[in-house]
Amino acid sequence: MAILIAIPPGIAANQNATNSLTNTLGNTITQMAATVNNSSTQIQCSLTPSASTGSGGRFGSSAGSTTPGGGSQQQGTSRQFIPSYGGGAFGGGSLQPMNESSYSDVNTSLSGVTVVEPILRVVEGHNETITPRYGASIQSFNVTVPDYIITGVPLNASLIDNYPILPTNIVQGKNLQPNETGAVVLLSENSSAYFDAGVGATVNILGTNFTVAGIYAPTSTSDNQSVYMNLADAQAVTNSTNVITSFNVYATSKDTVTSVAQTIQSMHPELTVTTPQDVLNQIQQLQSTYGERLNGTTALIDGTQMQAIEEIVIAFAATGIIVLFVMLYTVRERTREIGTLKAIGASDAAVMGQFLLEGILLSVLAGIVGVVIGTIGAPYLSGLLLPAVGNSFGGYGFAAARGPAATPAVTVSPELMLIGFSAAVVLGAIGSLYPAWRAARTRPAEAMRYE
Amino acid sequence: MSETVLKTEHLTKTYKLDKGEVQPLTDVNLEVKKGEFTAIMGPSGSGKTTLLNLIGAIDKPTTGKVFLDNVDIGSLPGSQLCKIRRGKIGFVFQNFNLLPYLNARENVELPMELSGKHKGDRTKRAKELLATVGLEGRENHRPNRLSQGEQQRVAIARALANDPAIILADEPTGNLDRQNKKEVVKLLANLNLNNGTTIIVVTHDGSVAAQTERVLYLNRGEITKEKAGLHREKKNSALVANEEEEKVAITESELTKLQERGILTESELEAKKKELLSKF
Repeated sequence: MAILIAIPPGIAANQNATNSLTNTLGNTITQMAATVNNSSTQIQCSLTPSASTGSGGRFGSSAGSTTPGGGSQQQGTSRQFIPSYGGGAFGGGSLQPMNESSYSDVNTSLSGVTVVEPILRVVEGHNETITPRYGASIQSFNVTVPDYIITGVPLNASLIDNYPILPTNIVQGKNLQPNETGAVVLLSENSSAYFDAGVGATVNILGTNFTVAGIYAPTSTSDNQSVYMNLADAQAVTNSTNVITSFNVYATSKDTVTSVAQTIQSMHPELTVTTPQDVLNQIQQLQSTYGERLNGTTALIDGTQMQAIEEIVIAFAATGIIVLFVMLYTVRERTREIGTLKAIGASDAAVMGQFLLEGILLSVLAGIVGVVIGTIGAPYLSGLLLPAVGNSFGGYGFAAARGPAATPAVTVSPELMLIGFSAAVVLGAIGSLYPAWRAARTRPAEAMRYE
Repeated sequence: MSETVLKTEHLTKTYKLDKGEVQPLTDVNLEVKKGEFTAIMGPSGSGKTTLLNLIGAIDKPTTGKVFLDNVDIGSLPGSQLCKIRRGKIGFVFQNFNLLPYLNARENVELPMELSGKHKGDRTKRAKELLATVGLEGRENHRPNRLSQGEQQRVAIARALANDPAIILADEPTGNLDRQNKKEVVKLLANLNLNNGTTIIVVTHDGSVAAQTERVLYLNRGEITKEKAGLHREKKNSALVANEEEEKVAITESELTKLQERGILTESELEAKKKELLSKF
């Protein structure tokens, strides 16, 4: 009974986990593609150690910074230079700081270039030891949990006005103004919760006080924990004078993007130059990779369901057989009683009815016990009986998706209880049928002989 | 005394086994009249139980007939047989066979419940019956709280519940000690004597059989002889005693009349009465 009740919620939990995973992935990929299309003249240039995955990922900054040992560490705090796209989700990877002046030759004098936007992004966080569960093995290691990401952008009027370098959805206060220093724009949820500061308040960032100019609301593709400020301010507070982590080059039109990218690449072979087309290709690559992975998961879930159905069938059969044997034993034990009943005039139907009733009562009692055990033990039983989908994803460093699946919300619904209970009664009746018939067929003469 | 309750005609039972046939009963002709207290005696394997099963509507004869209250029960279908067992026959078993989870009263009520009697009626009758068998005040005891003799008395009360035409007792004293055996036999005899209950007792115990009115000896499936038991004399003497008492009463009243008419003086009357009573 407990098994009967525990398995269906386990299946449901696995399905829910997969569904939410699919939705999250689908939304993210669609939004990424839209963003790339909107800013389709943007060419990203950076010095990424792992060039192929350096840009593009935006699956939560927490995943991007879980690489142990990355970046410099300062007494319990950690700092990483990350690319403008917010850190690689797949394989992580911080950017190498770049000397701004080394790339002063990439400027508007190049043919087809309208503007160059240098960016400094530094993750400020603290170290934590985590022990995530990857399937069966448990490892523990240090990770950097980001508190906020300093994002320094040049506050030139022409840049701010014409290019999407600052957050667009300011919900309180106002955005950063051209050439404004000593001011920051915080994210409504993460940063303001961390800093606990509203518009007009002062926040301390690495020893320097800044005034909160505005609060922006997140969009799914914008970085979640960015603290926007003047590039010069960012370089000052991070002791990174003349250092940037990447720069974006905006081409005059979509058509010139490729030739501009080639020009930059030939001038600086060490740079990873990423065109919107490259990003799109990567996204598509990503999409197919995750499509395959999802297919794998779906197959796993199908397998799980098959397994669950097998387990339910076995549980049903076992229940029926247990009732059968218990009742057969009972009938055998009580041959004399049955014989007596028949000798004093009980009809076959009366005897059969009594033993059917007893079998059903037995199952109802067992059903009540099962519902109680099932309700209490369903989460544990589900975990034991079914492989958790969340765990199978855990190995991919898929932090956001792993969350809900790793703790499947197994609940026993009243419908499920009713189904389990009805099953108990029906199985009790079926299992008692033959023993009751045997009882009814007992010859009353046996009452006299049976010792 | 003349109405026939049970009659068997050429009753034969044959069982087919792997190694041929067994015939526990061969051509048994038996007649039991209403109010008779009969014992069937015989050694083990003589066919006692088979005979009891056939006359108790538990088994069907191979050939021959069993008439119970002039109904040929051998020809009835199974569904009718359970009604016969319920209404016409009261079984008493060697092992008492009370239902352990029911108390004495509920055990006695059971046959009445099966025949659909109302709760109030059957409780009242069960209490009366338990009083008859001497278990007043023990109605709510479970079988395991009763002595073996008491359990068998509850079983006898249960057998009487539906006022059957005949009581069939299969070794009713087989599991009892001497004292309880005596009491159960006495109870059966009294039921027969006072209520006119027709009883057949199957036993291999001669001392039990001797207490009945009529003893049939069964050997190798045949009734070989018949003897009168002690109970017949008791019954007859009870009858005679009744007649004598009546005679005394008549004589007494006649003497009183003589005195009233002045033929006898009072002292003479007393002397005559004493003389009369001393005769008995």
